[in-house]
Amino acid sequence: MKPNTARNVGSGDRWKRLLALPPMGYLLIFFAIPTLIMLFASFRYAGEYGGLAPWYGNEDGSLSINLTLENWQRLFETDLYLRLFLKSIMYALLATLLCILLGYPLALMIARSPKKHRDLLLLLVILPFWSNFLVRIYAWMIIFSPSGALTRMMNVLLATVGLAPVSLMYSSTAVIVCLVYVHLPFMVLPLYANLEKHNPALLAAAQDLGANRWRRFWDITWPLSLPGVYAGAILVFIPVLGTFAIPDLLGGTDGIMIANVIKQQFVESRDWPFGSVLSMALTAAAVLVVLLSAKMGTRRGTLR
Amino acid sequence: MKRRWVFVVGLFGLLMSAIPSAAADGDRLHLFNWNDYIAQETVTTFEQQCHCKVVQDYYSSTEEMMAKLLAGASGYDVVVPTQNALQALIKQNFLHPLEKNLLPNFKNSDPGFLNRSYDPENAYSVPYAFTTTLIGYNEQRLAKLGITARNWSLIFDPRVLSKLRGKVTVLDDAEEVFSAALKYLGYSINDRDEKHLREAQQVILTAKPYWAAFNSSSYIKELAVGNIWVAHGYSSDMLQAQADAKAAARDFKVNFVLPTQGAVLALDNMVIPKSAKNKALAHRFINFMLESKNAATLTNKIGAGNPNRAAAEFIDAKIRKQNAIFPDAATLTKLETLEASNAKQRRLLNTLWTEIKIK
Repeated sequence: MKPNTARNVGSGDRWKRLLALPPMGYLLIFFAIPTLIMLFASFRYAGEYGGLAPWYGNEDGSLSINLTLENWQRLFETDLYLRLFLKSIMYALLATLLCILLGYPLALMIARSPKKHRDLLLLLVILPFWSNFLVRIYAWMIIFSPSGALTRMMNVLLATVGLAPVSLMYSSTAVIVCLVYVHLPFMVLPLYANLEKHNPALLAAAQDLGANRWRRFWDITWPLSLPGVYAGAILVFIPVLGTFAIPDLLGGTDGIMIANVIKQQFVESRDWPFGSVLSMALTAAAVLVVLLSAKMGTRRGTLR
Repeated sequence: MKRRWVFVVGLFGLLMSAIPSAAADGDRLHLFNWNDYIAQETVTTFEQQCHCKVVQDYYSSTEEMMAKLLAGASGYDVVVPTQNALQALIKQNFLHPLEKNLLPNFKNSDPGFLNRSYDPENAYSVPYAFTTTLIGYNEQRLAKLGITARNWSLIFDPRVLSKLRGKVTVLDDAEEVFSAALKYLGYSINDRDEKHLREAQQVILTAKPYWAAFNSSSYIKELAVGNIWVAHGYSSDMLQAQADAKAAARDFKVNFVLPTQGAVLALDNMVIPKSAKNKALAHRFINFMLESKNAATLTNKIGAGNPNRAAAEFIDAKIRKQNAIFPDAATLTKLETLEASNAKQRRLLNTLWTEIKIK
């Protein structure tokens, strides 16, 4: 009997390992290896007409290696790129914060609504995904346009209080509004998943002990929901940091973010090595911010 | 057991490699062209004539096309690069020499557009169409503001721009904007002297606060709707904006002008990559496009300038007399084509451009 069970356990483990192979292989082939290729490319020279120059030469029999640090030097030579990174991170933080402010009440409302309505409400949150991202951005361009109803109405209101008319299109306001609009569902969904699991008995107990509405939220719901907030914040922060389409289409003359410059390297300038440098730096920046916030999260968690 | 696996995998591989040759590419032409740069009726006519199918792929900028080709995209039979990209493709030995005996209609091409420095004797390319980069404007708005300038000062001179704040867009393209600024300063668009480029950067930075945006994608609409009053863009797009404003019966007219200081001429050419699978069909297509009537349709429907002499008689008179689309000999001398730039030059231009964008 005994050897038989042992064998069964062993084969179960093997199956588990086998099942993990495809996703691991996928990540290896489409994430780890490309990242390494990019890291290597960041030390190479750009080809004369684009692409990469060969990294080793074999002229007159002697092997020569053509690698360089100048791409990385360019990143730190001026404060140009540092400023761009800071600006993009500020945009991403602002968009994340606004998503929390808008998404939290919404997720809470859905989680506390009668069970039979929840699925429908969630569906409504996901609904925008049914149409293409770019189509939705173009819709915003119409909404923001100077001849659009929103801008005209706003300017009529501003005129009655004696203020000069404003333009929404091609502004950082338009960029932020759109960033929040596009990423809001990424905040609401993990928050809802978290809030829905809260035990209502905790709130009832707190109420019996005399805690008011505000205290019940601040001492029970909020700390319990922090994992959801962090999950949502990461899901919003990272894609926002890498956005280039929204600043391209809605931003004004100073609307660019770091991803626009990365796109420029690969497309317009055909400067793959510097594009790789910027991509690596962006990945590092994203990891750094996420690690920092995770650290802050655990510290706050232990304090409570 | 193991051997059987090898057999199955081998068989699968064999099947996979057999599929492309079974659906032989003999009846397909893979065309890699600019967005909206060939009339549907032309494609249909060609498909009927050759009993083949035209499979189209599009790009919206030279850079996008080059990035795709250099990243190893293959299988295109005909590509339509602009002259600076063509120059790079020739130097990289990317193209198949054209067999002129297969192109009897080559004689239709206007000699003014042939035998250019980047491709002597047109060994690799034949002209397809051209556009100029110029300024489109809202006629009524400019008249009301009393702006009479019809040159690059419309987008660079602060005295003019102060009346147009937030109503001007320029292309989101470093080479085009720098070319315009270099022309405004009286330099050649191919001037890559760092001192001159820095001067041009200063001109752009001075003008930038007055601009609404860098816009390459939606200025046709913005101009035709009346949100933007002055736009830097391509001649074919301006013709489109003009037609759109007219069709929508707006209370203004969109017009365009080739700046007197000179401007960028972009000459697009048909070429066959070495990696093309169907070179015979590719030649047939090129010859078809050089036919006078087909070339004329390109201008009538798309609004592109036409380097085909024989096409002239089939082109709408209204389009023909537009100097910006059919520049006369005197104007033609003021137009310059962009040359291919090397890695160092591209890097310098990109740094200057990023500095502009973040300020």
